[in-house]
Amino acid sequence: MSALSIVVAVLGGLTAALAIYYAVRDLSADLVLLGACAVTAIGWIVLGIALGVRDVASVGPPPERVTLYGYVLTGLALVIGGGWAGAFERTRWGSVVIAVVSAVTLVLLMRIHQIWPGGFA
Amino acid sequence: MTAPRTTDRSDAPVGRRGRGLEIVLIAVYAIFALSATARSLVQVLTRFEIAPIAFTLSLLAAATYIAVTLALVRRGRRSRAARVLVVIELIGVLVVGTLTLLDPALFPEATVWSLYGQGYGYVPLALPVLALAYMLLGDRRGAPA
Repeated sequence: MSALSIVVAVLGGLTAALAIYYAVRDLSADLVLLGACAVTAIGWIVLGIALGVRDVASVGPPPERVTLYGYVLTGLALVIGGGWAGAFERTRWGSVVIAVVSAVTLVLLMRIHQIWPGGFA
Repeated sequence: MTAPRTTDRSDAPVGRRGRGLEIVLIAVYAIFALSATARSLVQVLTRFEIAPIAFTLSLLAAATYIAVTLALVRRGRRSRAARVLVVIELIGVLVVGTLTLLDPALFPEATVWSLYGQGYGYVPLALPVLALAYMLLGDRRGAPA
């Protein structure tokens, strides 16, 4: 579980770094950057499913489910929304949006660990 | 890198290529609209009686973010609607922030605007100021891009 969340964090961090590079170079999002968004989104889906499986199988205290899955869905929505904005905004500012949302997903991931520490124990 | 440079797209008619910095403002407002709405809905639907005033203000903050996002998307940053809403947002964060300092008992649970948005890295306080600066300074520079 921890390994999976590290993977999602690395994906988000790499996407953010790549997006910043694009923005600095005055590049709009291309298939590489949009692909990074897509891979990060898949990471969030897998994380959500894994948390759900763990939640069902868990015997410990249950997580605050609405908040937990709300955060997972928000993370996913941000990555998809950021990619969507990057795809349609054909300027460097589309890349900036991807950088911003990717950075925010890292914060969300951190909060998910706080919301349900048992899920990652 | 194979990404097309912004200037490469000469085929796109001017003004259709993108919104520029405005899209970043829209994205940040959309993020706050989403997170504030989710947070306030959970608060209002699950435990409204604990802190009706705080949670109502939380809902109001969410509504403001949604309104600013929509105004920016539909009318753009030069619209009067967007400006008025951002001013309302600034007043809201200042009033709620000050209330949380003066009467913490009123806010047993944090809202987006508590302590001037401390829980969100003070972005809720900085956002309307930056948005207003961008709207007003961008306008002074003149013609639409």
